[in-house]
Amino acid sequence: MNHTIVEARNLIKRYKDLNALDNVNLSLTANRIYGLLGRNGAGKTTLMSILTAQAFATSGEALVFGANAYENDAVLSRICFIRESQKYPDDFQPQHAFRSAALFYKNWDQGFADRLAEDFQLPVKRRIKKLSRGQLSAVGVIIGLASRAELTFFDEPYLGLDAVARQLFYDRLVEDYSEHPRTIILSSHLIDEVANLLEHVVVIDRGTIIMDANAEEIRGSAVTVSGSAEKVDAFLAGRRILHRETLGSLASVTVDEVLSGRERTEAQELGLELSPVSLQQLVVRKTMAGAGATGTGSGDFARDTMEARR
Amino acid sequence: MSRTLAVARMQLINKWTYIGWPLTILAASFLMSLAIFALIPVTEGKNGGGSQAPLWYFLVLGIQSMTLAFPFSQGLSISRRAFYLGTLGLFSLIALGMTVLYMVGGVLEKATNGWGVYGYFFNIPWVTDGPWYSTAAFFFVVMMFMFIIGFWFATIFKRWGTSGTLVSTLGTAIALIGLAALTTLLQGWGYVGNWFAQQTPLSISGWAAVLCVVLAAGSYTTLRRATP
Repeated sequence: MNHTIVEARNLIKRYKDLNALDNVNLSLTANRIYGLLGRNGAGKTTLMSILTAQAFATSGEALVFGANAYENDAVLSRICFIRESQKYPDDFQPQHAFRSAALFYKNWDQGFADRLAEDFQLPVKRRIKKLSRGQLSAVGVIIGLASRAELTFFDEPYLGLDAVARQLFYDRLVEDYSEHPRTIILSSHLIDEVANLLEHVVVIDRGTIIMDANAEEIRGSAVTVSGSAEKVDAFLAGRRILHRETLGSLASVTVDEVLSGRERTEAQELGLELSPVSLQQLVVRKTMAGAGATGTGSGDFARDTMEARR
Repeated sequence: MSRTLAVARMQLINKWTYIGWPLTILAASFLMSLAIFALIPVTEGKNGGGSQAPLWYFLVLGIQSMTLAFPFSQGLSISRRAFYLGTLGLFSLIALGMTVLYMVGGVLEKATNGWGVYGYFFNIPWVTDGPWYSTAAFFFVVMMFMFIIGFWFATIFKRWGTSGTLVSTLGTAIALIGLAALTTLLQGWGYVGNWFAQQTPLSISGWAAVLCVVLAAGSYTTLRRATP
């Protein structure tokens, strides 16, 4: 059941003056919800475009369902990728877009699309050109959900959606996913909002994958230690430090390590406070730490940044 | 095959785009021409150029199918080949339907002595003078040509952006001017004039069809590497 359905090997996408993708290797298995996280311009959309053969890699290989998706109907018919800036035919209304999708996706559920349109209060008979940003996002979200494609990409699907509509999307996504398992790749920079949905997290920064791990593992993988600066620094000496904040004589330091039970007890005895690190904080810290240590591998950056501070 | 067919059906979901608007434009242009014909108190045959009105809309449709329908088709994971064949098939279907309409209009027009006001909208001097199949071929090819030239320019634009479009337009213009200069230099205008005088609507359709095929083939090679 859990076989590999997406595989990227040494993907490079070079534009004139930057590498949008810089040697990306990635392997995704079936029936999971993936989060593709990263800053704007990190390469999220480029990666998804290349996987779905909407764009072309400079070099490297992208396999979906074991083959290149380019001009491959057998593969393409199982993929749905409505981009954030998706264009629609000039005279189209949302209902036309939905009927189009129904022509191409064998699992299309029109009833589901209708219910979603109602949930999102989408005027299905208004020209798409005239829709607000949020309503435009809703059109894409509905196509993505109701198509029930085996591999579905959501490209920053929440743009312009209000908090209620975003929550509706997350709820419907989880409900429908549990009834109809499939592989979902959710590209986002609103990490806290989607953190609970994700089973696996891929973080991309400046064209490079800097994190690729199970969401459960990540949740316990870092910890913030706070207390008197002296004690904190002594306790954490030699560890992979992601971030350090000080306020007077107090320090709050995030380490990219798991503490053992003994270490936790020790910390408590020293009067230090331990707190979990949210996925968003972790991604932000890792991205920023990576930016501070250009040219070094992701494993060494923390030590470098720590040394730089001393 | 079914996905190619679905591409054509997809673009017919909103009936206005490919059917409603061309017919509306044709009807409006026809009625306006008729009104003008009726206002001119001459009992000789009067000809107007109003029947070309839908053709300009086809040019726009050719452009939009590439700039808007293509990116949408990519979102639904439709292969470029299926999109191309389905869209070109749709163009042919619409051009065929319009040709039939023009032919029927032409017959009615003759039967009613120019709709009772000696006005000729569907009958065009020289173009419709030959046998019916020559007229039909001319209408069909000209309509296809408008679709394809729009589609071709839009593929160039999608693939190479504004600069590519500019280069190809200027390049075409320079090539044509160069050809004209060469003709002048070689004092060849007499031959050119003769050649044109010898052409019939059918042979012109033939040449235009060749050009259509070249542009269509060119569009496909460009489209194969285009991104939405």
